[in-house]
Amino acid sequence: MAHKWGMVVDLDRCTGCEACVVACHAENNIPTVGEDQAARGRAKHWIRVERYWEGDFPNPKIRFQPVLCQQCDEAPCEPVCPTYASNHTPEGLNSQVYNRCIGTRFCANACPYSVRFFNFYNPQWDMPLQLQLNPDVSVRSVGIMEKCTFCVQRIKAAEIQAEAEKRELKDGEFNTACAQSCASKALVFGDLNDPNSEVARLSSSNRGTKLLGELGTKPNVTYLERGTWEDASHG
Amino acid sequence: MERRDFIKISALSGVMATLEGCRSAEKQLIRFVPEEELVPGIATWKPSVCTLCSAGCGLLVRVMQGEAEVVRRGQQGLIKMGLAKKLEGNPQHPINRGKLCARGQAGLQVLYHPDRITHPIKRTGARGSGEFQEISWDDALKELAAHLTTLQTSNSANALAFLARPLHGQRHELVERFLKAYGAPPAVWYQPFDEAVLRQANLLSFGHAALPTFDLGRADYVISFGADFLGTWNSAVAQSIGYGEMRQGRPGRRAKFVQVESRMSQTGANTDEWIPCRPGTEGALALGIAHVILSEKLAPQGAGSRAGSLIAGWSAGLPDFTPEAVEKQTGVSAAVIKRLAHELTQSGSAVAMVGGAPLAHTNGLFNALAVNALESLVDAGRDQGQILGFTPVLQPAIPAQASLASLTAFAQSALSGQPHAPQVLLLYEANPIFSAPPGLRIREALAKVPTIVSFGNFIDETSAQADLILPDHAPLESWLDSMPESGSLQAVASLAPPAVLPLHDTRSMPDVLLGLAHQLGGEVAKALPWATYDAMLRAAYVPLRTRGGSVDAKTDDDFWDAAQTQGGWWSTPSTAHSPEVAVAKHAPVSPAAPEFAGAAGDFPFYFLPYVSQSFGDGSLAHLPWLQELPDVLTSAMWSSWVEINPKTGDRLGIKQGDLVEIASPQGSVRAAAVLSPGIAPDMVAMPVGQGHENFSRFASGRGANPLSILAPLAEHETGSLAWAATRVKLVRAGGPEQAKLVLFAGGMSAFPHQEERR
Repeated sequence: MAHKWGMVVDLDRCTGCEACVVACHAENNIPTVGEDQAARGRAKHWIRVERYWEGDFPNPKIRFQPVLCQQCDEAPCEPVCPTYASNHTPEGLNSQVYNRCIGTRFCANACPYSVRFFNFYNPQWDMPLQLQLNPDVSVRSVGIMEKCTFCVQRIKAAEIQAEAEKRELKDGEFNTACAQSCASKALVFGDLNDPNSEVARLSSSNRGTKLLGELGTKPNVTYLERGTWEDASHG
Repeated sequence: MERRDFIKISALSGVMATLEGCRSAEKQLIRFVPEEELVPGIATWKPSVCTLCSAGCGLLVRVMQGEAEVVRRGQQGLIKMGLAKKLEGNPQHPINRGKLCARGQAGLQVLYHPDRITHPIKRTGARGSGEFQEISWDDALKELAAHLTTLQTSNSANALAFLARPLHGQRHELVERFLKAYGAPPAVWYQPFDEAVLRQANLLSFGHAALPTFDLGRADYVISFGADFLGTWNSAVAQSIGYGEMRQGRPGRRAKFVQVESRMSQTGANTDEWIPCRPGTEGALALGIAHVILSEKLAPQGAGSRAGSLIAGWSAGLPDFTPEAVEKQTGVSAAVIKRLAHELTQSGSAVAMVGGAPLAHTNGLFNALAVNALESLVDAGRDQGQILGFTPVLQPAIPAQASLASLTAFAQSALSGQPHAPQVLLLYEANPIFSAPPGLRIREALAKVPTIVSFGNFIDETSAQADLILPDHAPLESWLDSMPESGSLQAVASLAPPAVLPLHDTRSMPDVLLGLAHQLGGEVAKALPWATYDAMLRAAYVPLRTRGGSVDAKTDDDFWDAAQTQGGWWSTPSTAHSPEVAVAKHAPVSPAAPEFAGAAGDFPFYFLPYVSQSFGDGSLAHLPWLQELPDVLTSAMWSSWVEINPKTGDRLGIKQGDLVEIASPQGSVRAAAVLSPGIAPDMVAMPVGQGHENFSRFASGRGANPLSILAPLAEHETGSLAWAATRVKLVRAGGPEQAKLVLFAGGMSAFPHQEERR
């Protein structure tokens, strides 16, 4: 059976440490844009941690929520792309084909999760920071949309390796950069079509919800609800 | 991830150093994958050690062939070399088990930073002018050696000073041996946020002068007093692993988590219950809870008596700490105090921990001892032993002397010339001009030292005062070792050869010192008989071979190779507790209220400068990934800000994003206001890390430095800096267009500062 890549984000485990954010930058050649462009809303964090405050001192509550491309089955970013740069792969990924992109930005407009980022300028790395760039990932130039790919370079590398060794991929054999760094194991990545995978097991949890699921996007990221005081058992 | 072929043996074993004077030791003894072995496009994973904080996590470095523009012997050119592409946690390492924090991930940018010092330089203009010229290593080393021999021959060996941030492993040993044999005073190990108070408290309460290790995966209840244990405190990655397990790692069993602090931290955001407590009264709160446990006999008879005996009144049941009395002191209601006491003792395995601001008060030791007493009352080992433990010690304990005390003594000796004025200062990655309270007059003190030599690889406020700079390699270009003091109940001795060849014309600081030692001869050469640092490491590590553990080797050579391949040696997991240190009897401590700098009338707000999720103590502000990382509580990037309660904002006419000025008796700073419900109306908080006047293109002239307005108040007994003990006043100083707060959250407006955003 073909793979179907998905993720689980366990909001009860996420601590808001943002290791995922930096790991993603390092793996995917995401350029920093600098203070001025960041002030114009152009920083590119393919995964971000949102915070939602409720209440006031002395009883403030805050929740963290990591958000990344949901790799939607019914991705709103796909039908609006005039060049088919945003399209769907047989393994369930929403793929962004950089060299088809002509920069209309309709996809970012359509995306309800705000997970698509545009290169308003050619990215720059002050030498020799460019030596760190990952050769497995294209560097995007001006006029190109980019977003989380579920580390498709790692997926491809693992698939090629498994095929060369004439065997199946094993769950946990490779990981996305964000999930790999996540100390509390809030992020779990894997093959939803593998019934024995961690991600498939957790996706069917009764704590599971989808982000903006009511919009009909059919995301492949399942969020597990954060626990409450009452959930804790008494020893 | 399987490690199968991800780690290749990187060492050229058996090549020993010779002690030839002039030839660079680097050319003989560089241990990394030879260039001809690198296949383009295929990655090699090398073990390494993260040096950005004291946790000492184990790394794997992804090395791939690339082409770098370098300067070799004055010639610019391209060289094919292994380049570091990505850092991951080492899955085998007992501390971080394959995981890595945000700062650890960003550490990769140190290696390829555009503002690294790329060769030795000598000052040509006035100190601090930034005017340097390149000199050769031969000349630089000659000059340094001349300074040191001059001191020796003029009988002023005690005029040599060494000021550094605390170093890991054998580097610490090397420096201390060098100074002792030379006849110089011991090094001044300085960092703004040190843990002297907690180590002293743990020594008294538990017999271990060390940071604690927690097995949170077995906890049912965690109460943390101020410890940002999921963010910046102690061994955050190890603690976060345990946190995930205690929440959702055990079907049907979810631990409760309560945080007591005066400002909502990243850690506090994850609580089931968040309890704001008046600054400096956290110890009283812990004793209030203990009082209820003792008076209602909720814990076994005699539980906690050892740590409790350090608190005056414990054996009488803490009569001064009734819930009603504690409510008056702390602001936490008596009903909550009683409930916490019941929950802690009825929840299975419980643990109480303390760290951060509660220890950074003049009564910090009292607060720590109080929480330790509560901890020993509730963490009574219901199943499989206690949650709080201590890592077995492999090397002598880190001296408990507080950084502030030794830095103050150094500054005083420079300013007054008593007992003797330092003539030559060797500096290594300490930045007290930036981080020490202005009352210490560090800038003035350094101006009085005739010769300053820095080994750091960046110009910062302090190293900018150097006369001579002999830049060290970046960590990934160096032999790295560390013996973490906490994070695992296995003894850990991390070890890694350089992952990549040096990019620039830098030299390993330990090798430079060893070369100097040899040149100076006499006692110094005897104390340090190795030509290169890895030879010293080998001598320190091979004795571990006979202790069993993670490396199974029949010979010292095999052990040395295998330990490097694995990224270190660690003991087998065992339930044996590491032995306690005998402690002289300490008189029971009477409660002390915290003291503050600044009268409450003139300075109405408590001021909390907190260790930043992005920049730590400010030493990572030069990394662009971290500057652009949105702060998780505010989403701020590239900015400084002051957190104030919205009611305070209303009262003082301050809106989100306005420029505000906060002033202490020591000085004032300005930054953007962020309205936050997570802070009391009588407190303001500011992250540490920005406000560098000189620290690379990414951090220079950016934001404001809250450490620059701290009063040099110290914790009474340990002399540790009481960084939470300064009071301030607050006024609006301008509008958002002057404050320039950059937030990631909010709209995609072209003019974001004009909108109200939360």
